[in-house]
Amino acid sequence: MAEHEVVVVINQQQAELLDKTVARGHATDRPALVRRALREFAATHPPVQGRPETK
Amino acid sequence: MNERSIVREFVMEPGTGRAVELLRGQILRVEQIEGGQCADFNCFNLHDYKEFLHTGRSRVIHGLHLTKGHFLWSAPPRERPIMYILEDTAGCNDTLFPRCTGTLFESLFDLPVHTNCQDILAEAEREYGLTPDDVHDSFNMFMHTSIRPNGEPYIAPQKAKKGDYLELLALIDVLAVPNVCGADVTATSDFSLKPLKVVIYQASETDLAAVPPIRKLSSQRTPADFKVKTIKADRPLRRDATYRPEFTNVPLQRIPCPVLLSDDELALLQDLKATGLYGATDSEVLRFVLFSWWMEAFAPHINQKP
Repeated sequence: MAEHEVVVVINQQQAELLDKTVARGHATDRPALVRRALREFAATHPPVQGRPETK
Repeated sequence: MNERSIVREFVMEPGTGRAVELLRGQILRVEQIEGGQCADFNCFNLHDYKEFLHTGRSRVIHGLHLTKGHFLWSAPPRERPIMYILEDTAGCNDTLFPRCTGTLFESLFDLPVHTNCQDILAEAEREYGLTPDDVHDSFNMFMHTSIRPNGEPYIAPQKAKKGDYLELLALIDVLAVPNVCGADVTATSDFSLKPLKVVIYQASETDLAAVPPIRKLSSQRTPADFKVKTIKADRPLRRDATYRPEFTNVPLQRIPCPVLLSDDELALLQDLKATGLYGATDSEVLRFVLFSWWMEAFAPHINQKP
């Protein structure tokens, strides 16, 4: 299985949030958390759906 | 004490408002006498007027139409619950519309001298030495509003009936300032201004027990945390030559976070990217997806518990 590297650029505050999320057991590390986010977000946001509400 | 007791009561006539000292544990009830009357509301920390109700924060936390079980929050950086809505029998309160002003009535209706909530609140707050500049964005009791599909806000016909009331429990000592909204040529109060009854109660134990636990946060700052301790007492703004910026977490860094995606995961990413909704590059889309997912997973609504 091929692997493709994507580099997500975040700041230290975003990193802190991700690291706390990992520390709470939601993933083994930052990359695993990102991959989980991608899979779960894609499952609930079919490509035709509009922009999610974020703030 | 498990019975409420009346501290005082009075009637606000159309075109008027009243600044009322409300101690922690006291309740402000605003009641419809005839029905269909909006009341704008201001609220200040009685011991520090620079802390006051922030309609915007309250709206974002609880929604456009505050009701029973919601808090009124003070403005950042204090940002704490200062009042709690104990009861709301009409269910039509608004945080969307700003207070009506003299300029509104002059510009739209050519009525330069007209009752309006800015001036009514200012006049009521003058009793405590506040100026018209101190009137803040109002919480609008008994104001029936909504938003059209195109995003435009509108005022709907009144829902408040005779005898309907709203009760606010003071969580700190406050200066509470309700008024009778002065808008009589808009639908706000069904085109007629009517008196409102105000009752101040000493809360019962049952009332106090209704308030959910309130979480204290370190980011809820007080004047003790401020770098500038004194309140400016003159009007012109002058630069402080000794000022050196001390912004939080600055400089913000750019931290690369490499992620290895499988073929299937890359395909998911490409599908999302093709929508054009999440960014132009794989990196941007993945970051957008990551934090959007986080919000949905761990903060599914922006409503926050205090």
